[in-house]
Amino acid sequence: MQSSGVYTRDRCVTGIHGLDEILRGGIPYGSTVLAAGTCGSGKTTLAMEFLVRGALAGEACAHFTATEPSVKLLENIRQYAFFDMNMVDSGLINVFDMDVLYSWLGLEKASFDLDDVHALIKSIVDIVNTIGVTRLVIDSVTTLCYKIKSEQLIRDFLFTLGKKLATLGCTTVLISEITSATENAHWSSFGVEEAIADGIIVMGDSERMGHLLRFLQVVKMRGTAHSRAKHAIELTPLGVMLIPMLKWGASADKTSRWGS
Amino acid sequence: MFELDQMIAEQLTQVSLSSAIQVRVGANNAFGVTASTMVPLMQMFEMGGVYISAGRGAVEIIQAYEAIGVDVSNIQFLDLVSSGVLGGTDVPYPNVTFIDSPIMLESILLRTLYTLRTVNTARNFVILDSLNALSIYNDDRMLAEYLHTFINTFRQREVLSVLLTVPDQTPPLVLANLDTYCTDIVDRGQVVLL
Repeated sequence: MQSSGVYTRDRCVTGIHGLDEILRGGIPYGSTVLAAGTCGSGKTTLAMEFLVRGALAGEACAHFTATEPSVKLLENIRQYAFFDMNMVDSGLINVFDMDVLYSWLGLEKASFDLDDVHALIKSIVDIVNTIGVTRLVIDSVTTLCYKIKSEQLIRDFLFTLGKKLATLGCTTVLISEITSATENAHWSSFGVEEAIADGIIVMGDSERMGHLLRFLQVVKMRGTAHSRAKHAIELTPLGVMLIPMLKWGASADKTSRWGS
Repeated sequence: MFELDQMIAEQLTQVSLSSAIQVRVGANNAFGVTASTMVPLMQMFEMGGVYISAGRGAVEIIQAYEAIGVDVSNIQFLDLVSSGVLGGTDVPYPNVTFIDSPIMLESILLRTLYTLRTVNTARNFVILDSLNALSIYNDDRMLAEYLHTFINTFRQREVLSVLLTVPDQTPPLVLANLDTYCTDIVDRGQVVLL
């Protein structure tokens, strides 16, 4: 008798030490994942390593930066041994300044309306489609959404963008800046990003006797079983490394930086 | 002239890479016993690895080995002490890395795992010097949990764990866990002065 097989979705193997184990093999392909974290928690490094590991496997990757100029981003990331500038030169990693994109689209304005949002989605999707991007990072969706004044419009923007990118087979990481990573905190600035995302990875700092210990926790990931435990992370020259946080340590820690 | 304890070297021939050795030292013989453990591992078994110094700064330890004619430039030191001293991290040794505090137990483990990925020796050890120093800063239960994680992490990766401790300065819960999880013991913790 043939046993009925359990369906498992194909995975985008992040290549990040420990993260694929947490996700039981990787992020389900085509997912939109919110990487929400406090400042200095390692969001950009994690996202950049996600792209580099993809590039090393021959995938085309794109990074849209709204928080810092691409030149500065690349300078900061060059200190990591996992990064190789040839990946940028050869077109495997494509970094776009959002300011330049806004300029191309004539969107140099304080706030976006529905048409502006659609133009922005179209341009991102066109770039992804043209280059054949399979891994995309938007850093940060918070900065980008500050220009979208209506909550409904933010929801539409993220939902439509996520849907179109998923159709193209692109796995997307949206970086979200938050001020607290406590149990009661929102994992996004506008409260809508977390509902739309297929996955949420929270990053923050636990304070232990005056020292800050970085942590990462996958709180949601559709399409896969995963650990929901807090993991300590270290940003090493070889990339991000994770191990489970000590259980007794977690009870001794103040929950997070800026925490209530 | 400094003499190594040859009985320890003999005992080390019985251990494997997935072993965890508890090394009980006295307050007066700590360096001698540690050297008698580490030097054979380096010279007889051609091992490299990581030395985690929680009791004293790494420079002091390196210089103690240099004083007895042992080259430890192939050993990577993780110094948990010197960051707490102004100017303590300005050292002339490239094989020393600093961790902010002995409280950052997970960082110590992650940094050790990272360091082991960078060394060029095929067989490696991790020496934790010492549990009694870590117990100054960390809660007993947390340290016991850490010990469990630490030993199993390196056992799984076939990296020999060597855990130093001064028994009468180590919490009973931690000692009990050492007895449970370590596969071997080098006991020089009871020093009889004649």
